[in-house]
Amino acid sequence: MGPLIINDIISQNTNFFLAFIIGIGFGFVLESSGFSSSRKLAGMFYGYDTVVLKVFFTAALVAMVGLLFMSLFNWIDLDMVYINPTYLWSTIIGGAIMGAGFITGGFCPGTSFCAASIGKIDAIFFIGGMFLGIVIFAEAYPLLEPLYKGSFKGTPTLPQALGLKDGVVVLGIIIVALGMFWVGEWAEKKFPREEY
Amino acid sequence: MKPRLYLALIIIPLGLILAAVPANTTHPYKLSPQDLLEHVNSGMQYFSPDEVAHMLVSKDPSLVLIDVRSEDEYEKFHLPGAINIPLSSMLEDQWKDYINQDLRYNVFYSNGTVNSNQAWMLTRQLGYQNNYVLQGGLNYWVETIINPTAPPSTSPDEEIAKYDFRKGAGQALGGGAVVESSTQPAPALPKIAPRPKKKRVEGGC
Repeated sequence: MGPLIINDIISQNTNFFLAFIIGIGFGFVLESSGFSSSRKLAGMFYGYDTVVLKVFFTAALVAMVGLLFMSLFNWIDLDMVYINPTYLWSTIIGGAIMGAGFITGGFCPGTSFCAASIGKIDAIFFIGGMFLGIVIFAEAYPLLEPLYKGSFKGTPTLPQALGLKDGVVVLGIIIVALGMFWVGEWAEKKFPREEY
Repeated sequence: MKPRLYLALIIIPLGLILAAVPANTTHPYKLSPQDLLEHVNSGMQYFSPDEVAHMLVSKDPSLVLIDVRSEDEYEKFHLPGAINIPLSSMLEDQWKDYINQDLRYNVFYSNGTVNSNQAWMLTRQLGYQNNYVLQGGLNYWVETIINPTAPPSTSPDEEIAKYDFRKGAGQALGGGAVVESSTQPAPALPKIAPRPKKKRVEGGC
């Protein structure tokens, strides 16, 4: 039956409405779990607070398990689900720029809007910087295009690359993620900070 | 207990189940019998010989004629520019880019319409768009385009105009006599790059 929009079960407008509701919920949960604090976010890099890792990986695990079960029950056709295409160079360079911005600014794009909504001035400046970056990228696009579209890899997925069944890969990721959570909590004890 | 343990207790068994069950490879997309009946009744899947002849004469690049008969039959005679995808091998991967595309009109034809309609049904079930059937098949094509019969001279103007067009098109497309195909087998179409699936749900952080 799913995806809902593609199979015309809900209209595009209903889709936007649902997206709006989900977006508000997402922002609310981000703010209430402290993601509007840039110190908390930067803690990920220094090891004193790994809540970012835990929250986002838990979300990924839930989504992964949920999608596979829904596919098992014929509720969704996984072939119709969008997979972000991989452009290797833009992924590497974009990831490095995003990481650098994350650690210096203390926000990722989504959480900066969360923080701005509760009136944090540093977040407002962060958003300004983000728009500046967008303008620079757009203006320099003709120069950057070969790099941006360089080494296109299609939409590879881990199960395809490893030649394993989806479920086996999911189990592997669950175990790796739980291991990472354990390492994260060990790091929190190892590099504690009094207040942040 | 720590939340991490709760999480592990729930999610590891779920992961074990997922790893143990076979992956679901069925595609839930199914045309409902109601929809199919509606399509069949409306005759929307048909391209009339006149439409096809007009597109052929005007060298319309959006038309792709697909001969679903066997290779032997195709080599003996086929419409100009047609490619051969025998019905028996239609589901092979090599044809997927031809029958699952949204750039051109694929028009299936066979001698009558049984095989071409079967091909059309197959593609409908798979959810592919832009596939059509040549109305009446090759038999009707020969009857209408290659050897059209003149309407009585008292017919309305449209009938006469239609006949004139058919006669002209028939000559242009190798009619007038018993057709001996001298055309080379059509060159394979350039491979259509697999397009990204349309209308997919996008997302991001």
